[in-house]
Amino acid sequence: MSLWLIPLCALCLLCALIAAGAKVSAARNGTIRGRVELRHVVTPPERRPSVTELGTPIGRDLPDVLRSVVYLESAPRGAFETSDGGRAVMDQRNETFVPHVLAITTGTTVDFPNSDKFYHNVFSLSKTRQFDLGRYAAGNSRQVRFDRPGIVRVFCDIHSHMNAFILVFGHPFFAMTDGEGRYHIDNVPPGTYGVVAWNEGTSSDAVPVTVPDGGVAEMDFTIR
Amino acid sequence: MTVIKTWCTALGLASLSLVSARAQTLPSEPISVGGGRVTIGGDVSASVGSSDPGFFDYTDYEHSALRLLRVDVSAAVNGGDHLTLLGELRTENFDSMQPYALYLRIKPWTARAIDIEVGRIPPTFGAFARRTYASDNPLIGYPLAYQYLTSLRPDSLPANADELLRRRGLGWFTRYTIGDAAADKGVALVSAFRWDTGVQVHGTAGIVNASVAVTAGTLSNPLFNDDNNGRQVAGRVELRPVGGLSGLIVGTSAARGPFVSASAVRAAFNDDSRAGDFTQTAWGADVEYSRGYYLLRFETIVSDWQLPIVRTPALELPLRAVSTSVEGRYKIMPGLFAAARVDHLGFSDIAGTTVTEPWDAPVTRVEVGGGYSIQRNLQLKFSYQYNRRDGGVLEQLAHLKAAQLVFWF
Repeated sequence: MSLWLIPLCALCLLCALIAAGAKVSAARNGTIRGRVELRHVVTPPERRPSVTELGTPIGRDLPDVLRSVVYLESAPRGAFETSDGGRAVMDQRNETFVPHVLAITTGTTVDFPNSDKFYHNVFSLSKTRQFDLGRYAAGNSRQVRFDRPGIVRVFCDIHSHMNAFILVFGHPFFAMTDGEGRYHIDNVPPGTYGVVAWNEGTSSDAVPVTVPDGGVAEMDFTIR
Repeated sequence: MTVIKTWCTALGLASLSLVSARAQTLPSEPISVGGGRVTIGGDVSASVGSSDPGFFDYTDYEHSALRLLRVDVSAAVNGGDHLTLLGELRTENFDSMQPYALYLRIKPWTARAIDIEVGRIPPTFGAFARRTYASDNPLIGYPLAYQYLTSLRPDSLPANADELLRRRGLGWFTRYTIGDAAADKGVALVSAFRWDTGVQVHGTAGIVNASVAVTAGTLSNPLFNDDNNGRQVAGRVELRPVGGLSGLIVGTSAARGPFVSASAVRAAFNDDSRAGDFTQTAWGADVEYSRGYYLLRFETIVSDWQLPIVRTPALELPLRAVSTSVEGRYKIMPGLFAAARVDHLGFSDIAGTTVTEPWDAPVTRVEVGGGYSIQRNLQLKFSYQYNRRDGGVLEQLAHLKAAQLVFWF
């Protein structure tokens, strides 16, 4: 009986040691968080002076230009394997694109519904993705799939003051700031990365940030 | 010299465009100062094209639309919820800067879509007058009704039908024996490039937009200072359906006002008390429909002029002109479009001593072209025009080619 017990105990001990060792060596993802401060807030584009119009143009909403995007300049190995980014929506409401800034991964299809009573014509001449959705009425929508990373400027061909940004990333390590400029990028494998903050076409320099194993790295940015 | 200036400007803009092809380097938004109280926009177009000895494309600013450097700077000064001051300065071929528009827009009630505009106000009549900027025009030429100079003048009058018939097709440079004897340009049916002075009221209710204006001049002869103590009344009603018909705009316009100057009436009758009788009366209808990548426009204008009858053979009044224009644009791919316009301008017959024929030579124009956006607000356009005039002593046929670089912010 004891002859059988000794090797069994040894096997159990070995398994426990292997399991414990594995637990110790597995890297745990961390978080990068912080705040983006805008020294100078971009003024939303005004309507062109309506000299030839017969009356005052109707009211419109102003785009939210306070939101920034923070992203890893160089993502971890294997992070680029994402191919299907799902769907996102950029609405057209009161002569404004909502949201004004959209951050997506490659492979994402963006819907552009028209929630106004009149026509809009969404288009972009950006090299990352050129498209023109033509004119379509309220209640209708058109879609565009974004397969290349880069920045896409979106406009309306009818209302020249309407514009928006779509930032397309080849990896999922990015985040939009909230109304107070706070952000957090989760599930970042431990390591050192260049991190960039972007707002309305202006980027910060890439700042090296080291994400500890299972921990949190803090990084604040100031733009402009 | 003018052509050289135009080319220099075009080359300047083109070199900027080479840079801007890599990045959006040119300003793309209106300039806003004073915390958004003052907004300044601009529209610059440089056109180079064939010479036009038949004067088919000359405007009432005496420049060919196909060889033109036009700089428009417009501004809006927001004076609160009820007041906006709007103005526009323009220069063509580096002539002196002229105030094209300057008026006060008053909004008596913020909750109601009613505006009163006072000063040098935007044209009430027709559809094209609100899209004369090169960035709004899919082609380089303008519709005949708004640009082509007929042989009529408000300050110089033909004594009889024979004299008017002798001047057929010479609207670019004409004169008659009654009134101002110096040669000068005639008038277009509607001047899209000179604005009238007066008061305009505009209101919107649901899908209906309506405007009525009282001004010093007439459609074909807008004025800053009145020359006949008469007032033109003009009105426009426009329907802009929503929902499935969002792309449809249907408009109709009418205007009537004394056309002939008091000095010309005095020259005809030794008395200017009848100056108010010699009117221009016009009616117009326009339809625009757009959907997807198509944009179609149709506009027709009928204009009647009453002139003093001085001697025989008498003018058969009213002298009528009818214009019809059909225009289309199709977007081929992002940034690239093709466009075409077919235009005809016809005139009523009058009987001279030996012949009965239209009082001015009818004109037909077909223009086809296209454009490419180098960046959103920098566009290169090309067009070819076929012009035919049925009569007159000037060239009756013209095949004109033009290119235009347009920049706006």
